[in-house]
Amino acid sequence: MRRTRLLALAVGIVLADSAIVTLALPQILRELGGTVTGVAYVLISFNAVLALAAVPAARLCQRRDPAPYAAVGLVVFAIASAGCALAPSMNVLIAARVVQAVGGALVVVACLELLVASTGSEPAGVRRWIAAGVIGTATGPVIGGLLTEAISWQSIFIAQVPLVLLAVPAALSLRLRPRDTPQAGPRGADAGVEQDKGERPDVAANLALGLVSAALTAALFLVVLLLVEGYRRSPATAALAVSVVPLAALAARPLARLARAGARSEIVAGTLLVAGGLAALAYLPDARLFWTVAPQALVGLGLGLTVDALTLAALQSRGPRVRHGGWTIAARHAGVVLGLALLTPVFTADLQQAQVPAQESIAALVLDAQLPPQTKIDLAVGLADRLSKESGRVPDLHPAFAGLRLGVIDQIVADRLEGQLDDQLERAATQAFRNSFLLAAGLGLLALPFLLPLPGRRW
Amino acid sequence: MTSPQARAVALPLLALLLVAAVLGLQVGNGGGDFVPTASADPCTPRAVQSAATGIDALSEEIVLLGLDGAACRLGVSRESLLLSIVQDQRPPGTVDAVRGGLQDAVGRLDRENRLPKASVLADEAIGLSDLSGFVKVALRAIPDRLIDSQLDTGEVLGRAVRAIDVAQLLDNLNDPGLLQRSVQDAVVQAARDEIVDRVRTLF
Repeated sequence: MRRTRLLALAVGIVLADSAIVTLALPQILRELGGTVTGVAYVLISFNAVLALAAVPAARLCQRRDPAPYAAVGLVVFAIASAGCALAPSMNVLIAARVVQAVGGALVVVACLELLVASTGSEPAGVRRWIAAGVIGTATGPVIGGLLTEAISWQSIFIAQVPLVLLAVPAALSLRLRPRDTPQAGPRGADAGVEQDKGERPDVAANLALGLVSAALTAALFLVVLLLVEGYRRSPATAALAVSVVPLAALAARPLARLARAGARSEIVAGTLLVAGGLAALAYLPDARLFWTVAPQALVGLGLGLTVDALTLAALQSRGPRVRHGGWTIAARHAGVVLGLALLTPVFTADLQQAQVPAQESIAALVLDAQLPPQTKIDLAVGLADRLSKESGRVPDLHPAFAGLRLGVIDQIVADRLEGQLDDQLERAATQAFRNSFLLAAGLGLLALPFLLPLPGRRW
Repeated sequence: MTSPQARAVALPLLALLLVAAVLGLQVGNGGGDFVPTASADPCTPRAVQSAATGIDALSEEIVLLGLDGAACRLGVSRESLLLSIVQDQRPPGTVDAVRGGLQDAVGRLDRENRLPKASVLADEAIGLSDLSGFVKVALRAIPDRLIDSQLDTGEVLGRAVRAIDVAQLLDNLNDPGLLQRSVQDAVVQAARDEIVDRVRTLF
């Protein structure tokens, strides 16, 4: 039981790494330098390599005992995690993330077989594997945000090292005997050769999984950026705000059991919830965090209903199991890369475009402020400095106000003005993220045609 | 007891209902309108109120109304004009538009009887001027009623606007105090010139 938990934890940690640094990105950007697009590669590199390495890793685990591969993967992942924590530059961090993903791919696919062996039941093992991935993906940003706020972004990677290394003995204790290894199934050695070729992957389920994952990227990546960069909330506050997604995802499975609607119905409902939640995030009435709760709850419920059901659908009655498990990981993380690749340029361009209306509304408020003319001029100079220093990002205007020496009445007016200017920035940020959320909702809806009950589909 | 088919349809419908409810709540509470406040039309007269007093307040009101007038003449918002001036990307014709806008501003304040009496302006102008103490005392000895009957504030300010070197003013906006000082100096100078002219005419 302990062994099963450690292996599931390792899977969860690897898949959490897909988005775990999201809340730390602003801090990484400040410490290591670079651009918003550049720092997105900390996420893109990991997900792209995980997507590319998952199927080859599955082929290795299909041919031989997956336990040593899992152990090697865990050690590589741990060393690369330490490398991420010690990275002195953005390029080194991205390189370490690539190595992390290679080790992670081995861990995830090998652990599918090991969890089946550990639980002694294919359905139980597969469900554990899927659940670990869903929980890891959903909780990654929350854990990352809390660690970043409490300690530092480096602590995210350091904390992973002992946790994944704990799973090494668990993996090695499950050395599968030849008859247990995936290539030599119950049909014997001859069947193994046939199985090595294997059945074709479930294209519809994997494509739908990829598209839903691309849409979910917006919820896990854009919401965090909106809260931290757009609304200037602390990583811990943002982490608490986005914890709605994993909580709702956990609630989805009991609700689905209650509804007994069938896998396809759950996936369709989940896809609609993901797309609808993202569309609702595009229309936030203001920057108060409670407005993000209901949309994120929809996304979380959708995540809980779709990802595990689609993964199960892609694995259902297809062999070899490990290869199809690899395909689901490839599809999911290719989807994340697609989401990041499509959404990052859209929101960075929109953020750039939002600067003009934001600057104009700020200029209007300063011109009309009930402050002495000289104070307005001093303030305008300070604000212009802030805006030019943080070009392309939502600026922190407070330093422009902190330098003013004012009387009591003027200070009250200045405080109110600062609040009004921050409100204008929040408005500009909300508007700048709108297209990206809508685009992500569209990506989610694109999955619907692949969910139609066509002949030949096994789910 | 519901059939499996009914349950299969009910769950996506429930999802759609939930989405509609949340979207409706967001949009009903202003979702979609949470965007930066649009710039006001500079050609529509707006109320301008200064937190300062005396010549400072008057200078600020004239500058703000003048900016509106200049923006209206150029067909842009006053904020856009201001930012283009600050960023050294001012559109062609800005200097003439700003001067015209300032003249319009003085005219508007004059029409709305919001210009202070010349005696009030003159007293402050004399205090700020570099005239000798004797001349200051002599000028202050002139009864307010006499000053007000002889000096028209609109004329004084019109003179000030004509005297301002707008191009130089716009080129040196990186000096925070220059805008205020230039306008203030021009008003003081114009008031002094007007008083001196009138005094010379009297004798």
